[in-house]
Amino acid sequence: MARAFRATTRGYKADLETHERRLISQLCADVITLLQQRGKEVDGDTAATDQQDEFDHFRRELAGLGAQYLENEQEQAENDDDAQPGLEPPTDEVLARLLPDAAEDADEAAQLRRLSESSLRESKISDLQTARMALESDPVILTEEQAPVFGRAINDVRLTLAARLGIETEDDAEKVHNIAGQGKAATTDEFMAELYAFTTWLQETLFSAMLDVMPEEQDR
Amino acid sequence: MSSTAGSTLTREEADLSEQQRAAANRPYQVVVWNDPVNLMSYVAWVFRSYFGHSKEKAKKLMLQVHHEGRAVVATGPREQAERDVTAMHNYGLQATVEEAE
Repeated sequence: MARAFRATTRGYKADLETHERRLISQLCADVITLLQQRGKEVDGDTAATDQQDEFDHFRRELAGLGAQYLENEQEQAENDDDAQPGLEPPTDEVLARLLPDAAEDADEAAQLRRLSESSLRESKISDLQTARMALESDPVILTEEQAPVFGRAINDVRLTLAARLGIETEDDAEKVHNIAGQGKAATTDEFMAELYAFTTWLQETLFSAMLDVMPEEQDR
Repeated sequence: MSSTAGSTLTREEADLSEQQRAAANRPYQVVVWNDPVNLMSYVAWVFRSYFGHSKEKAKKLMLQVHHEGRAVVATGPREQAERDVTAMHNYGLQATVEEAE
């Protein structure tokens, strides 16, 4: 039986069964695959490396866009609206939830997505990979630095399961928790519901422990 | 616009850049939206650790998101607001940038 995260002198510690660690790690791997597929779809081969983007940036300067480009990148991005189409949101419900619009206006969101989605995807993939590493050890022990990273990754797994389970309201979430509480999962949805409840519990205990030891700070 | 390098800047162009400067300096706000998946403890933790909000303010904002559906969690220059929104997305929170009222 798994034992929840708690703060210890060595870090945040949780005792998980081997199959539990493997399952969560596999879920992280599935989310990584999804994000990578999206990357291939939207970036293609040309923008595969950051280096290429840097040169692109540089060439635009050379092409006569001037120093203003660097001074006011945002404004330049807006002037480029005609030249560079925005990036459409993913159609897959999981990807749409993991990579949401950054503005309510669809056109503005598409422009922002073009600028930020790629780095967001990379951050998430990096978090998920760190979580997979942490899940290799028994018990799972997280340092102060690793804990938020692990928490973000687990949250992405929860968001993924929630999107697949169609959780859109608080009532939906409640229903999923009730299904999970019955035990003996027979269908894929019941199994996903159990995983959702398990990862929710794991994340709740981790962040409760983190909040307990968090020093009180003044407003910035 | 960039081809004027070395030439005399006209009045209109000067005015335009003035306006653009003003536009760039207009405050923007980061809005976090309610969703049924993110845990209250997690959201409060994110507000405290990322924005440096106090325990009380983080809790107040978290409850505002929960009950009213949305809350403005930060205000600042557009670039900063956009960075904050991307950070919120990295934490899995639903967030958008908008011009401050």
